[in-house]
Amino acid sequence: MKIDIKNLIIKKAHEALKKGDFTSVELTQAYINEIASKNKDVNAYLEVFADALESAKKADVLIKAGKGGLLTGIPCAIKDNILIQGKIASASSKILEKYHAVYDATVITKLKAEGVVFLGRTNMDEFAMGGSTENSAYGVTKNPRDLTRVAGGSSGGSAASVAMDGALFSLGTDTGGSIRQPASFCGVVGLKPTYGAVSRYGAIAMGSSLDQIGPIGKTVEDVEAVFNVIRGKDIKDSTTIDEKTYQVQSASSFAKASEDRKLVIGVPRHFLGGDGINKDVLSAFEKSLELFKQKGYEIKEIKLPNISYALMVYYIVMPAEVSANMARYDGVKYGMHVSGKNGVDDYFETRRAGFGREVIRRILLGTYVLSSGYYDAYYNRANAVRNMITEDFLEAFKSVDLIATPTAPSPAFKIGEKTNDPVAMYLEDIFTVTANITGMPAISVPCPDSFLGKSGLPIGLQLTARHGGEETLFRAGKEFLGED
Amino acid sequence: MKQEELEHLAVLARIKLTEEDKKSLVKEFDSILSYIDQLKKVKVSMDAEGRVGAVKNVARPDIAEPISMEDREGILNEAPQRVGDFVAVKKIIEQ
Repeated sequence: MKIDIKNLIIKKAHEALKKGDFTSVELTQAYINEIASKNKDVNAYLEVFADALESAKKADVLIKAGKGGLLTGIPCAIKDNILIQGKIASASSKILEKYHAVYDATVITKLKAEGVVFLGRTNMDEFAMGGSTENSAYGVTKNPRDLTRVAGGSSGGSAASVAMDGALFSLGTDTGGSIRQPASFCGVVGLKPTYGAVSRYGAIAMGSSLDQIGPIGKTVEDVEAVFNVIRGKDIKDSTTIDEKTYQVQSASSFAKASEDRKLVIGVPRHFLGGDGINKDVLSAFEKSLELFKQKGYEIKEIKLPNISYALMVYYIVMPAEVSANMARYDGVKYGMHVSGKNGVDDYFETRRAGFGREVIRRILLGTYVLSSGYYDAYYNRANAVRNMITEDFLEAFKSVDLIATPTAPSPAFKIGEKTNDPVAMYLEDIFTVTANITGMPAISVPCPDSFLGKSGLPIGLQLTARHGGEETLFRAGKEFLGED
Repeated sequence: MKQEELEHLAVLARIKLTEEDKKSLVKEFDSILSYIDQLKKVKVSMDAEGRVGAVKNVARPDIAEPISMEDREGILNEAPQRVGDFVAVKKIIEQ
């Protein structure tokens, strides 16, 4: 039977599986066929798992026995930096080209318990460093909406897999916008959870105070469903929080009352006036605010006095953490090994051969900002400003429920357009890094087609909420997309 | 950035750089540093404690836990050079 995967969402698929309209094996095969026809052009997947159908068979047994949950038998894609035991996890790097994960990430354990089907691993910028997936050691991922353009990054493959109907949902990681920006470029929904909401155990670390695993899907409801499965305190990741952590904290009467009133959206207009923002993006953004107004939301102008320093803070703190996290790739315990003159020289040779340009650039930058003589001027100063920015956001959330900006300053750019200028690429993160710096949750939702420019390229709206405020994001996101 | 500074960083980071690498990296560094150097202008009260939201540093007892033979084999098999139960490396200390 021909399954209409283009119009599937998780709830519909679940109901169809429950009723027996089709089986998980048939559904999985439909996605495998779609991947076979599209992946050679899009390059979203690095590998389609040979045992996907076997997992689907097991899911069908659960469903038939009436033991299936919402995600049982649902086919998804997993970013190449999330470990699935026995499968290659290469973080799209040559240095881990043949590395097989020896354990499951916690999110994978949780999804396996639900009977989810893993279709394959998706392409990304190497070690999650990039905003276009052009830094992958295995080729760029093209935007399914326009194959001459990037899918965004670093979770380009994950976003593209959903956008091309090659998965019903996917997992990505977000350190400075790497879920939200590709979601914006590809016209899908992407969530970066509150720092600590989702365990990082089994996610290849990039910037440990910034990283979060998060879901990408076609609807806010789908993203919410996956988030609810993957979230939770984890003894294996001591930075995880539970649902109560922030409920006790942000017990302001304003916040508590939000359940009974229309939400208030804050807009930091002082930050949106630059020349660097594409006119179609600004226009779609204004139309989005109008849409919220029509739904009864209050739109309020707010000031985030130190927000213009957020990107600089990010490009000091992140490389510093990267330089520490990349030290483990030494060709001794796992991964690529290149022989040098002696044991120490092995490291020099291995790392030069195994790491791509951007990774090397960021490791060296991190080494610089942490080195003696510079530590105070860069790393300490950046941390101090990081705390100031967080205070700005906490202050704003005393009188608004959400903060809105475009997700990215431009729609998807042409492949190769920004590769010669690292700073131009870094500027793409200008709206997304704040959520990682503050640890607050943020979602990118695709603007309606009627809001887009003549090119028809997808444009994302970004909403940020206070710590633990995912529910507010889902509520507003669903209203924005008309899902309610 | 001076080339010697870059070379020093590369030694710290254990990454071999070719002459070509060094030339292009120095240029890129200058561009990146002039961007992040803007942070020097900010007036800060030096509350430089690294923190993210409510997350606090926690410790656990340093207790070794046994793992299965399967997992152990899985880990050892990933090593580029394995000798029995050991991960093999070149001799570091000369006589």
